[in-house]
Amino acid sequence: MKQPLIVLEKVTKVYTTGADTIHALRGISLSIDVNEYVAIMGPSGSGKSTLMHILGCLDTPSSGRYWFGGRDVTTLDDEELAQIRNREIGFVFQLFNLLPRATALKNVELPLIYAGVPAEERRRRARAALEAVGLGDRLFHRPTELSGGQRQRVAIARALVIEPSVILADEPTGNLDTAAGLDIMRLFERIWARGTTIVVVTHEEHIARHARRIIRIRDGLIESDTPNPEPITALPSPPVQLP
Amino acid sequence: MRRTELREALSTAVSALRFNAFRSLLATLGIAIGALFVSLMGWLLYGLDTALERTITLLGQDMLYVDKWDWSGRTRWAEVRSRKDITLQQARALAQELQTAQIVAPLIEAYGVRLSTGASTATVTVTGTVSAYGLTPAGTVALGRFFAPVEDRSNTPVVVLGHAVARQLFPTTHPLGQTIRLAGHPFTVIGVLVQQGTIFTQEIDKRVYIPLPLFIRLFGAANRSVTIAVKAGSEERMEQLRQELRGLMRRIRRLAPEAPDDFSINEIQAIREEITGLRQAVWGIGLGMSMLSFVVGIIGIVNIMFVSVAERTLEIGIRKAVGARRRSIALQFLIEAALLCLAGATIAVVLGNAIAALTRTVVPQAEFLPPYIPLYHIGIALALASTAGIIAGWVPALRAARLHPVEALRYE
Repeated sequence: MKQPLIVLEKVTKVYTTGADTIHALRGISLSIDVNEYVAIMGPSGSGKSTLMHILGCLDTPSSGRYWFGGRDVTTLDDEELAQIRNREIGFVFQLFNLLPRATALKNVELPLIYAGVPAEERRRRARAALEAVGLGDRLFHRPTELSGGQRQRVAIARALVIEPSVILADEPTGNLDTAAGLDIMRLFERIWARGTTIVVVTHEEHIARHARRIIRIRDGLIESDTPNPEPITALPSPPVQLP
Repeated sequence: MRRTELREALSTAVSALRFNAFRSLLATLGIAIGALFVSLMGWLLYGLDTALERTITLLGQDMLYVDKWDWSGRTRWAEVRSRKDITLQQARALAQELQTAQIVAPLIEAYGVRLSTGASTATVTVTGTVSAYGLTPAGTVALGRFFAPVEDRSNTPVVVLGHAVARQLFPTTHPLGQTIRLAGHPFTVIGVLVQQGTIFTQEIDKRVYIPLPLFIRLFGAANRSVTIAVKAGSEERMEQLRQELRGLMRRIRRLAPEAPDDFSINEIQAIREEITGLRQAVWGIGLGMSMLSFVVGIIGIVNIMFVSVAERTLEIGIRKAVGARRRSIALQFLIEAALLCLAGATIAVVLGNAIAALTRTVVPQAEFLPPYIPLYHIGIALALASTAGIIAGWVPALRAARLHPVEALRYE
């Protein structure tokens, strides 16, 4: 049975920089159900990053409505948005965005700190998340001591640790070589298989083709929204166990 | 605010400060100087107050001194100067009629008297008094004895030395039994008084005491105003004694009912008022300097905190993305600013203690100061510094808290 997790209705976003007015989104309506695997594609400047920020409750639309899990997000204040990000949304960024001076374990603990989870439970859950992404032997390494692929896996562990409703990944393989990128996409496949909704923003066709549905954006509008009948899945998986 | 967030804010602040240790140290200089001023001011005031209390205790809290001179400085100098001397006869009359007092002793003084031993000479103040004075706190001997009642009437040449005089004349030998000459006349040393001088009353130890009849024979009583030392016996009887003294003195001095008192009833407490000015000066200068330093310090901290917020914009973005609320971010930077200032204050307190200890070793006159900063003033310095930190951190912390997550994440 389909259950919508994300519903956008005529969402626009307008930026004003000096004299210029930029219409980043011109009226996006879409619905993403629980446990869909969606790729949002588009060239740079198409508005896909803006869309991703709005989906992630990092930004709010200029007009239109956005329901997340049945809740009208457009009416929420900063604190409530922070809480949704903290409890429901796991981010994966192109540049990993880890705290450089903190260990892998500490980085993964970060969302739990703001959720008020006690230290012992925090450590246990962060360790489990890192083990799930195959970094059980890198708990106390700092980002600079890890490879790009490992850093992105720490970031995924940080997204997973809160058991989010959705993982939002913004060009997650953009800074990785092909092999490491494939590792990450395999990991998403497994996370999706477990029941988590996944939204990947990318401009690379071969990355988008891992998803089961591809939404193409151009000039702030949805150009096409089609299922992907032949997703790339037949890849050997690394021997890791998800929690 | 949750405890986990508080602990996170604290540990982040500590690691940020350690990462930028040198810069942090420079930034906190103004606060450190402010805290140092507060510490040193506290140290000076504590020293002054302790010395004052010691003086009062040593000289007796239940003592009144009937004198031509006013110790508190409240009566006009011209008026005091025009008062007639208090004579020995008046002192005797007072002693005979006084009911409330425990001890009454007249004191009569000769200044600039030459004192010599075989080895050295000195110029001292000679006080003629009676054996009863030895029972007052100011007449307490450290060595030997004060005059005996029999010596009040005989002409035995005995002398009791003030502490400083004894130390100067007999630095290595035992003073008791030694012979000294006062204005050429030989006296036998029978006692040495306890040290009474503090920063306020150093002269008091530079006196010598001889029996009254001998004083009159050697120096005469003419043109010398007598001071009458009176011990109440308890602080409760002070007021009664004061009134009785006033009444008797007015009668003895034959004052008309409407005439003002032509004498003063002094008490040791008057010293308190004398040092009020000094205390206020220390306070004012200390307060002014420390406030100035704190203002300069706060400006420095505000600047460095803005730098810190700018440098860590991406970190703020990351924290916001994973769910940090505004107040969590604000708290982190407020704590950082407060810790920065506390670190400065801690350095200042350590430095202050070093200065206190060093001053005591190097400057003998600073004996009245404690060799450390009093705990109470350390507390004030630390509290002021952390308050300054919170004030300084406020605007930068708010700026950090209000950063837009998307813009913060875009920051390189």
